Amino acid sequence: MRASALVLLAACGAGTVKPSAPAPLPAEHQVVLDTTPKERRRMLPPEVYLRAYLGWFGGLAPLDVQNRARPKGLFDAWEDYLSALGLPDYKIDLPRQTQSNTLMLATLGRLGEVLCVRAAEHDLHVKTPLDQRVVFAFDPKAGSLDEFSVGFDVLHRTFLGYPVRLAPADRAQKFYALFDEVRARHKAKNPLSPDETAWAAVCAALVQHPEAELY
Amino acid sequence: MVRWIRFLPVIALVATARAELTLPDFRYFRTLSIDLQGRPPTRDELDAFEQSNFDLGAWIDTHTTGPAYAERLERIYMDLLRLDVGPTFQFVPNSLVLRRQQVMGPDGMPLYVYFRRGQRRVDPATDGDFCLSFDDTGMDFPPNAAGVGTPRPVPQKSLDDKTVVVKAWWLFADYRSPSPVDRIGPDWKRRFPGFEPAPGLLEDGSVRVCKEEAQTAESGTVYVSGRPPFKKGDPLPGHRETPPPNDSGFARANRGRAVSCLTGTGFQNSVDCGCGVGLERCLPGAGPQFDPPGFFTPTHVPLGDALPFDANPKNVSEWPKLWWSQEARRFLDKIFEEDRDFRELLTSHATEVNGPLAQFYRFMTGATCCGSGADAGYTEPEPLVDPGSLPQALVPEDTATWLPVADRGPHASGILTMPIFLTKYGSRRARAHVAYNAFLCKDFVADTARLAPSTEPDLTKRPGCSTCHQTLEPMAAYFTRIAESDWTWLPAHVFPMEQARCKGDKAPGFCKQVYDPAFNKLRSAYAAPSHAEAGPAGFAQDIIGAPEFAPCVVQNVAQSFLGRPLEPEDEPWKVELTKLFVDGGYRMRPLVRAIVTSPRYKKGNDAR
Repeated sequence: MRASALVLLAACGAGTVKPSAPAPLPAEHQVVLDTTPKERRRMLPPEVYLRAYLGWFGGLAPLDVQNRARPKGLFDAWEDYLSALGLPDYKIDLPRQTQSNTLMLATLGRLGEVLCVRAAEHDLHVKTPLDQRVVFAFDPKAGSLDEFSVGFDVLHRTFLGYPVRLAPADRAQKFYALFDEVRARHKAKNPLSPDETAWAAVCAALVQHPEAELY
Repeated sequence: MVRWIRFLPVIALVATARAELTLPDFRYFRTLSIDLQGRPPTRDELDAFEQSNFDLGAWIDTHTTGPAYAERLERIYMDLLRLDVGPTFQFVPNSLVLRRQQVMGPDGMPLYVYFRRGQRRVDPATDGDFCLSFDDTGMDFPPNAAGVGTPRPVPQKSLDDKTVVVKAWWLFADYRSPSPVDRIGPDWKRRFPGFEPAPGLLEDGSVRVCKEEAQTAESGTVYVSGRPPFKKGDPLPGHRETPPPNDSGFARANRGRAVSCLTGTGFQNSVDCGCGVGLERCLPGAGPQFDPPGFFTPTHVPLGDALPFDANPKNVSEWPKLWWSQEARRFLDKIFEEDRDFRELLTSHATEVNGPLAQFYRFMTGATCCGSGADAGYTEPEPLVDPGSLPQALVPEDTATWLPVADRGPHASGILTMPIFLTKYGSRRARAHVAYNAFLCKDFVADTARLAPSTEPDLTKRPGCSTCHQTLEPMAAYFTRIAESDWTWLPAHVFPMEQARCKGDKAPGFCKQVYDPAFNKLRSAYAAPSHAEAGPAGFAQDIIGAPEFAPCVVQNVAQSFLGRPLEPEDEPWKVELTKLFVDGGYRMRPLVRAIVTSPRYKKGNDAR
């Protein structure tokens, strides 16, 4: 009873709402649109990557690389990797990939590891003379950051195309930390020695570095 | 003076390193190397770059030439044109494919016998089919499938009468000599890289083939069996699965007339036509299937045929298709490597061929001719490539030797008349469209008209269609005289623009294929009959003469090198580059040099 009286009071007692006086809208917040061309680094074309890869393997032909890389299941067959690298397939009108994807990155990672392990075996493990080495063309001694930096610079130039002195200041330090950690975790010969395994890890990290895969 | 000279080496040593090089300098050099050498710089190249006497301008000059540079530019146009045909297009004319059946030899051992489906033979039990019958083998041979039944040894006499052993081209490189000795062996991998027949084709080194298929004559005579046409339910001779071929109207009208064995018409109408010396006019298949395994063929050829990746035994039709694509790539590479006038891409009469391509152009292009066109009197096709212009020295397995062909013939016009272009873009409209898109940088965008049912056959007038087809139809008309999904030329003296006997209800069979009854004109010609007579060469002239052509080339190349689309802000630069390109005689080298030395390119990829 009391509630219905309240509803009646509210319905009859309230006056109409008067419109407010017209007023200009607040000034809009203007943003200047920058339409100038925006640059961004491009993905390395897969053809370029393949040529580079063959070169890093010592200038071998694709099928020779496959044969050398295959032992112990490190590498399957080119057929398994080529599509994932982003090559166009003109037969089915599949365009060239211009953006990376997880499968592509995994493939690049796999190929990088194969290269670096095989190169460590060839260059370091069997003690190939310096002038015949394909990737690790330096004295692999790395007892200190300074010693490490000498070899690291060679790898840095090989895969990223410039000396490490021009890279961000802590780059050598970070990679030396990686080297140290891998060396510490691989005490047993497998068959690479701890140092050789650590160099292979540094190599694999560089060959997968964004700067190596972009240009 | 002497003392000064003693110190020179020391001064030179001190002056060799460029200490002032910055990160952008190295990045620019790496970008140049990737774009012009096709790979990042090596350590030695970086060392040279750091020397004070390094001349980057000279380095760019020496690297805007050579295979890697050509391949970089080739990639731009291959990405646009996608000149490779997939498995949906099977090139398996019956006259070219030697399939094989397994029978039991006289000694009770399995024996392969090669044959062509559709091969004409006098014996009605085997005419158009496998040459050994049920009586010979105890087996039935369904089309494109293995024989079924209980095999029994083929009598030696039947084998001798109906088959012959041949030294085939895929097993002997010197198959044309009286006593071939250059047999396939390990050294062929070096001499003919990439040439590898499917394992089944190498089983015993000899090829037993039906006698008719082994014939070598260049021409035969039209054969008429005189058999009454078979009706459904009629008993078939010799236990065969399908009726033998009926005598065609062409055969009945031309009995005894000479016909070329290099054409489909000769294959279908003569019992005298075979695969030629060493079976060189045919491709072998290791099975009875429609498209049997033929050769090892790579799935990907990203670095060209000189750097092969994995190859697997593929269907026989993949073999010629691989080389059609490689021909286009070579053609592009040559233009860029020799810095030729880019317009030759559409106008040149030249090409380069290797062994498989020479074999294809010499013996195989006529296989798709002439179908019902024979009823119009067309039995000798005008070749797309004049066989006389082909190098004689190339053997079919010679994949490695590429020799120039200076003039393919009067109908040749750059890539527009290459088999890969004509089969990749099967319809006349598709051919016109892709060229319009790749060379004028334009595309068709439909208007917003409401589509209504229409009986208007003229697409340049039909509402909803006309917006695009007013432009497309006249361009498609340039390809009127090349058959669709094929390369057969339809010459004016056989196929005039209008054919009186094709009017009315009793028109011969070829009329519907070649002529459009809605317009009483050659198919695709109605919008611009004059374009049909100008042919692909006329289309090429139209394209290269268009004001959009040079800016489009500049746009395609600049976008590829910058890795981004050109924006309105780039327009003055594009105009400048276009002028440079045109003034330089449409050559790529000055254009590429201008792009890679521009601030846009230098700074373009330096953003972080």
